[in-house]
Amino acid sequence: MITYKLSNNNVYVEKFIDGIPTGEWCNSETNEAYLKWLAEGNTPLPADES
Amino acid sequence: MSYNGSGTFQINTSGQPVVAGTVISSTAFNALTADLATGLSTAITKDGQTTTTARIPFAAGINSSLTTDSSSTSTGSIITAGGVGIAKALYVGTNANVAGTLAVTGVATFSAAPIYSSLTASSAVATDASKNLVSVTNTGTGNNVLATSPTLVTPILGTPASGSLVNCTDINYTGFKNRLINSAMVIDQRNAGAASANTINGYFLDRWFVTQSTTGKLIAQQNAGAVTPPTGFSNYLGITSQSAYSVTSTDLFLIFQAVEGFNSSDFSFGTASASTVTLSFWVRSSLTGNFGASIKNAAADRSYPFSYTILAANTWEQKSVTIAGDTSGTWIGATNGIGLYLSFSLGSGSTRLGTANTWASANYDAPTGSTSVVGTNGATFYITGVQLEKGSTATSFDYRPIGTELALCQRYFCKTFPIGTAPGNDVTIAGAFRGTAVTINALSQIEPAGTWKFPVSMRATPGTITLYAPGTSGHTAGQWTNDGNAGSSANARTNFAGTESTSFDNTGVLVAAGFRPIIHATADAEL
Repeated sequence: MITYKLSNNNVYVEKFIDGIPTGEWCNSETNEAYLKWLAEGNTPLPADES
Repeated sequence: MSYNGSGTFQINTSGQPVVAGTVISSTAFNALTADLATGLSTAITKDGQTTTTARIPFAAGINSSLTTDSSSTSTGSIITAGGVGIAKALYVGTNANVAGTLAVTGVATFSAAPIYSSLTASSAVATDASKNLVSVTNTGTGNNVLATSPTLVTPILGTPASGSLVNCTDINYTGFKNRLINSAMVIDQRNAGAASANTINGYFLDRWFVTQSTTGKLIAQQNAGAVTPPTGFSNYLGITSQSAYSVTSTDLFLIFQAVEGFNSSDFSFGTASASTVTLSFWVRSSLTGNFGASIKNAAADRSYPFSYTILAANTWEQKSVTIAGDTSGTWIGATNGIGLYLSFSLGSGSTRLGTANTWASANYDAPTGSTSVVGTNGATFYITGVQLEKGSTATSFDYRPIGTELALCQRYFCKTFPIGTAPGNDVTIAGAFRGTAVTINALSQIEPAGTWKFPVSMRATPGTITLYAPGTSGHTAGQWTNDGNAGSSANARTNFAGTESTSFDNTGVLVAAGFRPIIHATADAEL
């Protein structure tokens, strides 16, 4: 299952597959896959504290 | 008659000749004067009152005291409404003007160079270089240019079967005539020549997107099958069907390239000034028949499906298609968005097939009846040398320097990995970006950070930046490592990305003092 986690200092979100980070950082304003995921009613995980 | 027919005047009236003592009667005298009048009236008058009634023989020619040049048919020493027949040589001391056609049935010898205001040949004229004669042929139209250094005004060269330009200067080379990038299929930053998974649904070779609506039906690979590319090319994009799949009405299996608006806006599609464009490419398939492709706008609500025929199986064939530009629809102009799509169908459902060779307000991949590559298990479809250019003629392929081609690709996708290395975790440390361990707070805690300057300005802020762990083994995706294969306890993170660079740091997790962090990354700003 694909999930995304917000970043705490920029527009990028981190992509996870089955809870494992993929190394992919998606531009939350332009990345089509992320925007489609949001449009499906999903909510990204909150950002880590830094 | 007073003349005897040989020009001799005879006095033959009655009572002539008279003798001494003869009384000259009025009858005899009047007969004589009438006879003389007849003779004088028959003679040619020197002042031009008499028109001769027969050809006049001149034993020694005609002399005229006139010295003015003849400049028309009514001036000069000899004027005749009919022709002039000359049995012997004609010598003209100054100029001979011929208002009509000068026909020479013998040999025309010019001791000086003739000057023509125009020259027409009814058949090919032989060339004699030793006499500076120029060959005239009937293969084209227009006047010949004979000057040593001619200035050609809007010449039309047509389409020569072959030709060369040697030592030419001041040529305004129309660079980037091919609006497609990586169309010789040379650059493969993502895979470095490896085959795709059968789930491929994304960019494969640089700038070329391979998509399948139902996964598992095809694989893609640069130089799949290892066949010899067409002459002049070293690479091709190969597709191999993985099953005999019958497409559903909405299926799509495509290879396409999205052309950026900045690189296609001069086509003026969507306006009355839309340009005609020509697509040419080399293709080879294990199948024969009519295949389909199309050009679409960004919204895919305008499309032009067209077909091409592969005549022989497993044989490279070059195809070209000329397309009248779309004068309707919405086409993105000079922006960094999608100017147009060029797509080749490998199998499309019935809802995605339309009438060939006409613009439609629909999303058509190909004409109805096009061959489905995915419909035959093991079928192959190879393509290279794809050129989309302005105009109605397919010209020679626009070979570009490898550095230029790579830079064009990097506007859309770039990486820290060596060019011949496919990105991945624990693949290599070669080329990895070196971060700096920075102290981030009053507790002297240390975090890796750095800024990666992209090799070229990217089309837009990358939509995806993917981080990879450099090293040999044991790392998770995007983990900072060091050159001793040790890893940070958490992943790297990208931030502050733009079109020129992105910064990295860690996801809030610190590293030990002395850790010398490295990271690999790719940046994707594809259309």
